[in-house]
Amino acid sequence: MTELCLEINRADKAFPGVQALSKANFKLKKGSIHALLGENGAGKSTLIKIITGIHKQDHGDLLINNSARVLNTPNDATLYGISVVHQERNLIRRFSVGENLMLNNLPRNHFGLIDYKEIAIQSKKWLEIMDLNIDPATLVSDLTVAKMQLCEIAKALSLKSKILLLDEPTSSLSPQESENLFLLLKKIVRDEGVSIVFVSHKLEEVFSICDEVTVLRDGKNACTSEKIENLNRKKLVKLMIGRDEQIVRAKSQNSKNKNLVLKLNNVKSEIGHRDINLELHESEIVGLYGLVGAGRTELAKCLIGIEKIVSGDVEINGLKQTIHSPKTALEKFRIGYISEDRKKEGLILIHNVLDNSSITVWSKIKKAFGYVTDGMISMKVTPYIQQLEVKTPSNYQLISNLSGGNQQKISVVKWLAAGTDILIIDEPTVGIDIKTKAYLHKLIIELAETGTSIILISSDMPEMIGLADRILVMKDFKISGEVNNNHNYDKTSAAIMEYIHD
Amino acid sequence: MTITLQTLLKKDWFGLLIVVILSGILITLFKPAFLSSFNLYVLMVSTSYMLIIALAQMIIISIGQMNLSVGAIGGLVAISFSGVMEVYHLSVPLAIFIGLAIGVICGFLNGFITVKSGISAFIITLATLYIFKGINLGITEAEPFYEIPSAVKNFGNAKIGGTPIPYLIIIPIIITVLMWVLMNRTETGRHMLAYGNSVQSAELLGISSSKVVITAHVISGTLAAVAGMLVVCRLQLGTPNIGDSWLLPSFAAPVIGGAILAGGKVDVIATSLGVLIVAIISQALVIFKIDPFFVQIFLGLMILLAVFINRYREYKQEASRKVFTHD
Repeated sequence: MTELCLEINRADKAFPGVQALSKANFKLKKGSIHALLGENGAGKSTLIKIITGIHKQDHGDLLINNSARVLNTPNDATLYGISVVHQERNLIRRFSVGENLMLNNLPRNHFGLIDYKEIAIQSKKWLEIMDLNIDPATLVSDLTVAKMQLCEIAKALSLKSKILLLDEPTSSLSPQESENLFLLLKKIVRDEGVSIVFVSHKLEEVFSICDEVTVLRDGKNACTSEKIENLNRKKLVKLMIGRDEQIVRAKSQNSKNKNLVLKLNNVKSEIGHRDINLELHESEIVGLYGLVGAGRTELAKCLIGIEKIVSGDVEINGLKQTIHSPKTALEKFRIGYISEDRKKEGLILIHNVLDNSSITVWSKIKKAFGYVTDGMISMKVTPYIQQLEVKTPSNYQLISNLSGGNQQKISVVKWLAAGTDILIIDEPTVGIDIKTKAYLHKLIIELAETGTSIILISSDMPEMIGLADRILVMKDFKISGEVNNNHNYDKTSAAIMEYIHD
Repeated sequence: MTITLQTLLKKDWFGLLIVVILSGILITLFKPAFLSSFNLYVLMVSTSYMLIIALAQMIIISIGQMNLSVGAIGGLVAISFSGVMEVYHLSVPLAIFIGLAIGVICGFLNGFITVKSGISAFIITLATLYIFKGINLGITEAEPFYEIPSAVKNFGNAKIGGTPIPYLIIIPIIITVLMWVLMNRTETGRHMLAYGNSVQSAELLGISSSKVVITAHVISGTLAAVAGMLVVCRLQLGTPNIGDSWLLPSFAAPVIGGAILAGGKVDVIATSLGVLIVAIISQALVIFKIDPFFVQIFLGLMILLAVFINRYREYKQEASRKVFTHD
């Protein structure tokens, strides 16, 4: 059983200014689940892009089923049976599930026209393999994220793919959904003869389903096809970051007797929140935990005036207020929101570091007729850029050229520069490597200690328990319970889960 | 799937159909002349070529692009079609063939340059608009071709039997049916919509973007050519300014029909009804002797209304999803 279905030998890949991969090796055994790990910037995504035909290696070989292959386009990869289940959903949202599954090879009738009945019949087969009991005529946009992902895997199977690449597959799934996904992955490896390359930042997942691990660090192999039995979390982290992991934890504090900066009283929103009560004190970190779709991000959007509050009171510093727009939220009430979706909502990718970090301060520093110079902006934001150790060649580098972690730092810089009193931070560390994650955690704690009140939205339980003073559990657009966090992981997580599953 | 009111309400065309019927009834109640045979004839004639122009734009909207050169292609084809008949005395079928070929070539150029350059079709077709129009003016020196064969003139004027139905509308109806089949029942059409929904996803699914984009532009160019020739039949001459006023109306009907300019969502039936609504409104304003200058104001309001209604419906659907579908 040592037959390899995918092999990369001594691959080099350089981009202008960076050697992304140097002599990297990767060997995938038939019928195995293989974890590909590494910090952001370690060369993981470059390797994935080589496997999927987006980039071509400068040197080195790529073998599929023991024959050397050249992949010029993603289509070539698909032809050789390699499919990617991307972080970005790959389905056509306005098409039905069945049509999505069959899109590469739509069944036709005698007249050469698409036969929708046949689509339903053929796609049903693949949906059943993934235990998806849905009508193939359902529109993709009507599915939950978890089901979309299962459809995507079904789609890959329908293309007769034997090598599946899963890139952060659980980043928007609830624990149960992830559990279900893993069971199905094990099933298709066993029954369909599929091999899986599994990319994730969540090490617990790697230990629960992977057979072998390859770790990249600075474009080189830190280990190649190491058996999972020979590893533990500590060893793995050390391989990834080159040193031991530091766990960040906030000091326990009692904020109840500090100033109340934000209070929600029986708030009801237009998009479905009901009976929302929330108190946020000065220097406090209040966590909002819940499953995807529980209404946490949506609540944040109510607070910054994007979604409408229809009844109930919002009190800021003891006074009843109405927040009409993100502009009033920022300029009048000094509330900032760091989006979970930094690519779409947080940053303007085609602008440079300076422009992105200063958007929030323009209105404050502008002179007559809105005149702002780069120098004025630079003076204002550069201290923060330095303080957060953003790795960028200059302030004029385009954001899209920075790594995920550095992009996230810039989103934070933007709000630091704005000097907000209340900061809503939404999933700050999704897709961020362990080193930067610890750094961002420290930063959040420091922010709170220097007087900022923080609402932290996170689906990462260790992060939540490490940082929050109090945790509110949300479910179905309501708050289902409150847990006073003593930073004891087992007790607090049990209390949280109880509110989620009551 | 059973047809219920609920499923009908979800269709983009259903609301428009109601609007067409209601406005028809309403106008007839006040001015029975609306249903006069002459009036229906005029209505169908103006619908005929506008339908094709709207579909020529719609197919480009389906892939998330715009074709600013529809009118320029239509105009170039119109003068070429009439020109080869007048100057070289070519037979009508041969002239039609040449007209279609020019449409195909222009469309191909639009698509090819867009794909190969990676520049947005908006900019490419803005450039080709000037080029095609320039060729048109260079050939004609702004003079119309008057000598159109009587067969062509008759086709432009004739009605079917004793009905008010013009021959002119036959081709647009056939094209509308073919376009519906293309967008709903062929792989080519579905791939166009998939591409319009998400370029990235479509490419990862192995859909060839160059094939999709070039095909869409070729179809668009061909339809613009057909429209150009129909207008020659209608006007009985080939003037160089045919097509000059097509651009904005070409967007109006698809948008009223619920098309999303970002791509991935177009509806042939709704677009056709959009054309019909525009025609009915223009006609009604004439019948009610309202100053023709107001027509444009009404069209503008109509587009706003259509967009608001679509937005509201999408919002409703989104909202119902948000609250009830997580399990």
